[in-house]
Amino acid sequence: MILEAKDLNYYYQDGEQRRYILKDTSISFEKGKFYTILGQSGSGKTTLLSLLSALDSPHSGEILFNEEDIKKIGYEKYRRNNVGIIFQSYNLVPTFTAVENVLVPMSITENEIPEDTKTVAYNLLDYIGIVKNKADRLVNRLSGGEQQRVAIARALATNVELILADEPTGNLDEEMEQEIIDIFKRLAHEHGKCVIVVTHSNEIALQSDQAFRLRKGVLSAYE
Amino acid sequence: MNFIKRGFLGITRKKGKSLILLAVIFILGNLISGAISIQQATGNVESTIKERLGTAATIDIDYDEWEAKPDTDVEEINVDLIKEIGNLSYVKYYDYSMSTWMGSESVERYQDEEMDGDYFVDGPSMDFRLKGINYAPVIDFEEGKAELTDGRVFTDDEIEKGTSVTIISHKLANENNLHVGDTFTLANEVYTYDEETGEEDFVTSRDVVLEIIGLFEPQEAKKETDENADSGMMILTDDMEYHNTVYVPNEIVIDESQFNWEEYMKADEEFAEMMEGEEESFEYYEPIYYLNNPEDIEAFTEEVKPLLPELYTVISASDQYENIAGPIESMSKLAKYVLIVAVIATVLITGLVVLLFLRDRKRELGIYLSLGEKRSRVVGQILIEVMVVAVVGITLSLFSGNLLAQQVSDTMMKADDNKDEYYEEYYYEGISTDLTADDVMDSYEVTLNSSYILGFYGVGLVTILISTIIPLIYIVRLNPKKILM
Repeated sequence: MILEAKDLNYYYQDGEQRRYILKDTSISFEKGKFYTILGQSGSGKTTLLSLLSALDSPHSGEILFNEEDIKKIGYEKYRRNNVGIIFQSYNLVPTFTAVENVLVPMSITENEIPEDTKTVAYNLLDYIGIVKNKADRLVNRLSGGEQQRVAIARALATNVELILADEPTGNLDEEMEQEIIDIFKRLAHEHGKCVIVVTHSNEIALQSDQAFRLRKGVLSAYE
Repeated sequence: MNFIKRGFLGITRKKGKSLILLAVIFILGNLISGAISIQQATGNVESTIKERLGTAATIDIDYDEWEAKPDTDVEEINVDLIKEIGNLSYVKYYDYSMSTWMGSESVERYQDEEMDGDYFVDGPSMDFRLKGINYAPVIDFEEGKAELTDGRVFTDDEIEKGTSVTIISHKLANENNLHVGDTFTLANEVYTYDEETGEEDFVTSRDVVLEIIGLFEPQEAKKETDENADSGMMILTDDMEYHNTVYVPNEIVIDESQFNWEEYMKADEEFAEMMEGEEESFEYYEPIYYLNNPEDIEAFTEEVKPLLPELYTVISASDQYENIAGPIESMSKLAKYVLIVAVIATVLITGLVVLLFLRDRKRELGIYLSLGEKRSRVVGQILIEVMVVAVVGITLSLFSGNLLAQQVSDTMMKADDNKDEYYEEYYYEGISTDLTADDVMDSYEVTLNSSYILGFYGVGLVTILISTIIPLIYIVRLNPKKILM
């Protein structure tokens, strides 16, 4: 078990009333698998991802990474060394080139990275489908699909085992969407990563090894 | 791609914003730089002029205060108080002196060739000033007012016993073919004065025989006549008076004053009756203190004032600075206000510009935080970006602001120079100066020196740092989830 959430509660206080986004949610994930969490808008799937990626903290419950509470690891340190996050709107630094964007987390992480970081970054981008010519371009001169590939390369740059993606294909056309999903499958099955994708797309959910449905803060298996 | 490199990339990749920030810092930097330049220059003038004014101080009646309290009894300053003040740690050396005037039948006064013989008024000839000394090495020689060119100074024993020895000017000696070891005679003449006729009648005379132990040459009195004829005449007169000054131990002056007084009383019965019962002291000293440093004047004054009798005050050479340095002082004040306003404006304007730029880069900063970057390093990156631009802006304004200060202060001084200046002059011996507002103006110079450079970089960078720290609170409070999801 690489990641486990136990009895997570997350709510908004509305006067004296609590509006629960997640209620007693528990879920666990293994390495080498591609997971999807399916849900409609407002179902709480992005909130769950933000908790799993330590961008936010639950009101109660715990999240264990390799059986250690991420609160104990430290949210910032956990993000730095243990998880790669991919966003729907890519969130790349627009004034940097593709390769520079990949180099950023390499300088932040405390994980062991080969000394020649630039070569590693180029190789990663090449693996994801961004050739050197494009890797040296400013990211805002790349297409949406290419930018999301750069975001995936950035998530992989720190050599983490856990990849979390929030609607990674939400801004892409169908063809591009499939290419990205293929990358995730490869990362899980060929490289032993644990890939968790939050989506509202049934097509993507059907391609995952295991899918969950989140409805009104309650998680269930997707069939 | 660590935060330092990201900081530098932030500058080069966002050239427009960097240039805007540079322009803001450069413009405000000119104000700060100009103000600091003027302040440094005025500060230098103050120390230079005060250095030239010297460290002399004396105690005397505050005549303005006396005028306000005319019924107050004025005590005399006694020797014990003079010595108590002289023993303060600020005092390098001190003296107190009595003076009297005498004539002579055997010795001719020294008179400058350029001087008109009719310059001296009619009446009894009192050509020689006996200046009493208590400080044996003679303060005038120690302070460079004159130089001992032959012989020696007094001994403590001679001062104490009032031995009839003297030091006279080289020119007076030459005029009368006198040398060290020779003696000459002065006449302590007593005259009565008839107020109705205005005539003076000779009463009696006593010879004062003095042995020359040394010769001096005045160093300060200038022979060259000034452009101003009156001033030139005054210099010549001062010069001649000093050449005809005869240094003797204080005791001699006291004895001769007493003799003169007693004989006068005998000759003028009416006056003697009027003075009957009055205690008369023949010791009226003018103390002079030389301090270790011009900066000590203020502390010395603070310490001395409580010791003084009512109505007395401390008068120092540097008091005259305020009289002669009016334009410089007003410029210094203006520069101080400009500096304060410029610093406040820089903090506000730069702070606002940085805050606007940070808001524009909210997403970028959120990305770094989502990747686990420490907030301190994100703050460090922004600081690098701002401070690098600031160093460039400050370096540019270092030169342009200095140049600006030169132009502005030149214009201001020219405007002040056209005004009629009036300043009070001091006539205390050892304290009076021939320095004028023009000397002050001449010593004013805006320069690029190390203290200015360090001062400006210090003030400039600290100001920019403060103006950046306030917007950085924004980064500390950033929530990456809210920005990115």
